[in-house]
Amino acid sequence: MKIIAAFEKTKELSYTSHLDVQRTLQRAFRRADLPLAFSKGFNPHPKLSFATALATGYTSSGEWIEVELDRDVTPEDFTERVNAALPKGMRFHSAFIADDGFPTLSKMLVAAKYIITLYTDTPVTMEELGSAIRAITESEEVIVEKKTKSGIKPANIRPEILEAEPISASDRIAVAAIVGTLNAAGGLRAETFARALFERLQTNGRFTAHRIALCFEGSDRLPRLR
Amino acid sequence: MDMLLSRVEKPARYIGSEWNMERKEVYDFRFALCFPDVYEIGMSHLGSRILYRVLNDMDGVYCERCYAPWTDMEQALRAFHEPLFTLETKSPLKDFDIVGFSLLYEMCYTNVLTMLELSGIPFLSSERDESNPLIVAGGPCTVNPEPIADIVDVILIGDGEELEPELVECVRQAKREGISKAAMLERLAGIKGVYIPSFYRPVYENGRYARTERLNAHAPEHPVRRVVRDLDTAKYIGRQLVPHMQIVHDRVAVEVMRGCTRGCRFCQAGYIYRPVRERTEETLLRQTRDLVTCTGYDEVSLLSLSTGDYSELHTLLPRIIDDMAEQKVSVSLPSLRIDSLLKDDLEKMQTVRKGGLTFAPEAGTQRMRDVINKNVTEDDLLRAVTDAFTAGWCGVKLYFMIGLPTETDEDVVGIAELAGKVSNAFYRLPKDKRGSGFRVTVSVSTFVPKPWTAFQWCAQDRQEEIVRKQQLLKTALKGVRGAELHCHPSVLSVLEAVFSRGDRRLNSVLIDAYQRGCRFDSWAEHFKPDAWAEAFEANGLRMDEYAHRERAIDEPLPWETVDVLVTPAYLKREWAKAQQAKTTKDCRQGCNGCFGEHCEDYCRV
Repeated sequence: MKIIAAFEKTKELSYTSHLDVQRTLQRAFRRADLPLAFSKGFNPHPKLSFATALATGYTSSGEWIEVELDRDVTPEDFTERVNAALPKGMRFHSAFIADDGFPTLSKMLVAAKYIITLYTDTPVTMEELGSAIRAITESEEVIVEKKTKSGIKPANIRPEILEAEPISASDRIAVAAIVGTLNAAGGLRAETFARALFERLQTNGRFTAHRIALCFEGSDRLPRLR
Repeated sequence: MDMLLSRVEKPARYIGSEWNMERKEVYDFRFALCFPDVYEIGMSHLGSRILYRVLNDMDGVYCERCYAPWTDMEQALRAFHEPLFTLETKSPLKDFDIVGFSLLYEMCYTNVLTMLELSGIPFLSSERDESNPLIVAGGPCTVNPEPIADIVDVILIGDGEELEPELVECVRQAKREGISKAAMLERLAGIKGVYIPSFYRPVYENGRYARTERLNAHAPEHPVRRVVRDLDTAKYIGRQLVPHMQIVHDRVAVEVMRGCTRGCRFCQAGYIYRPVRERTEETLLRQTRDLVTCTGYDEVSLLSLSTGDYSELHTLLPRIIDDMAEQKVSVSLPSLRIDSLLKDDLEKMQTVRKGGLTFAPEAGTQRMRDVINKNVTEDDLLRAVTDAFTAGWCGVKLYFMIGLPTETDEDVVGIAELAGKVSNAFYRLPKDKRGSGFRVTVSVSTFVPKPWTAFQWCAQDRQEEIVRKQQLLKTALKGVRGAELHCHPSVLSVLEAVFSRGDRRLNSVLIDAYQRGCRFDSWAEHFKPDAWAEAFEANGLRMDEYAHRERAIDEPLPWETVDVLVTPAYLKREWAKAQQAKTTKDCRQGCNGCFGEHCEDYCRV
């Protein structure tokens, strides 16, 4: 049977990588005695896939996965048992059973919402934050340096930015909410947006990103963009 | 914390919060279990896993972990003036009652200093008082405690399962009574397996170690290595920690036995873990099941120095494999002996997952193998690899050493010849009976003479000689189909030889080298041979004297202040036999008398 569910990743566990999370989930399922189904063949691998990966260092309220299990289980039972077997900082919610023919999550994924917190070297006011964000959303092109296989190249990320708005600014902490495209081919990276924002605020510093939601199209059981 | 973690390459090394991590609210005694290497290595260490359980099972004791910070974290901690912290509660080491280090490798000693310095703890025990944590060290390196004797307050020699709780109880009681550090050390000196270095003073004559003077009447003349008599009932890991990031040995570890009866003359572990003690089949089955259930791991490793020698192996192995196959858990044996390997076991193991196959003939010719008492013949090896190749394996890794005592060029070339015969054994099989992509990996390390072995008197080959032998081997391996040569760099093994058989004067060299920037010396990218050379020079000592000088058979040896049960007289007999290429039988076939007068009390094989 196939279960679709979301998990949150908070606190220190945000510093684990995508590969770490895969391992942690596989082991947690075994501890919960909810064995993952394995693919057949020479090198069997568990049938567990993610809507998308979360960058190391980001927190999230809802990372969606689909798992094939060897045993039938109710969504409530699934959530309860896996949560009891997960380390502090990871927790499942919103589980449901996927019918046959339910499309894969990565095909339905369209966007992601983030809260970005900038810890700036110099103080930033709410007005400055607002105008810096407008400078991004109101321009035709937002050129950033993007790392590609053939080196660092300039790229226009404006089409990937769907929404952006200031939330708060006090002294050296500026917070913004953004929505960016995200699908199997790629999309807006919170880090790229944060760098563009630092540039327009004419300051430097570090940032943290929290993914509030992944947005899908094609199923009313999953969060939508609007 | 975010400030630090966002600045390092692998933040998961420092976050803790692993599955099965101990969380405690109420405790009155804090123990920092420290490992002077990175998380991935320290977390793989079996002894630390056992001690974490043993200590946390004690009432009111909270044992937390701390690993050496990688250089990026060290820089971040210094930049923000933050102390090094434990993984469980993120507390600085200064807040602990005991800070204990596991010493498995001499080339980690500089990392001990990093960890002390980043905690604001003075390096020398003489500079620390009651306000500092008690600095303790244990692990195999402490059979020669002298090179760190000025730094550590209390040195533990031997098995820790019973020793560590006794240490903790003694320190806890002393603290309750509020007695001085000196008085506490006197009490600790009475615990079997404890060596208090400050109660002993080495004397040097003509630039060499001459003898040790005992300074305190409470200290035994020769502290004796601690041995857990009954391994079967001894505490084990219980709930093994499951790391987030991949570690070196990322699997359930089951220790089937401790000690080894073979008596390979170069092998320090073979001497210092005697006598052999086995766990029963039932205990092992139960521990395996429990560990798999509470960790969710899908791989189990049956550990020991020589698992193939476990007396019930051929009934245990099928039972464990069947038991685990149901849960799709694979079973591996890291240390198969060539002569103990059975075809059935191979086939059985292959049904679960095909792991790598490794053999350690250690030397290329029979004469050389007789010198080191590695009682394995060429026929044994060729039979074993042929079995493996027939069972579907198409790669094998062979471990060798060069620079062994009495070694000639013929012995070095013999390594290539043996690899050639292994290669032929593969290609002799009919094409439809063998796999493709054959590889024979020849891994060659440089011999390091270790204390408490039959070779503790030997001179290590000089670096130029090792390089020449490596070159000789490289040439000889040309034309062997599928052969691949891995040689370990020889520069580091000189320093390793120095510290293995070092005396107390090396403490100041160590601190000096650390201050010249030496860190993570076992990592090629960090090893600074020039800084080490300067540190020796500045302290008026020569590496050459320690590494490349043959000791006279009656010369006093700095590590003989401690008693590891195996007697110097036995080692002398073994050294004499080695020089005549005479072998010594496995002690399961009859006692060789290695414990001398300790035999009655400690060895009941």
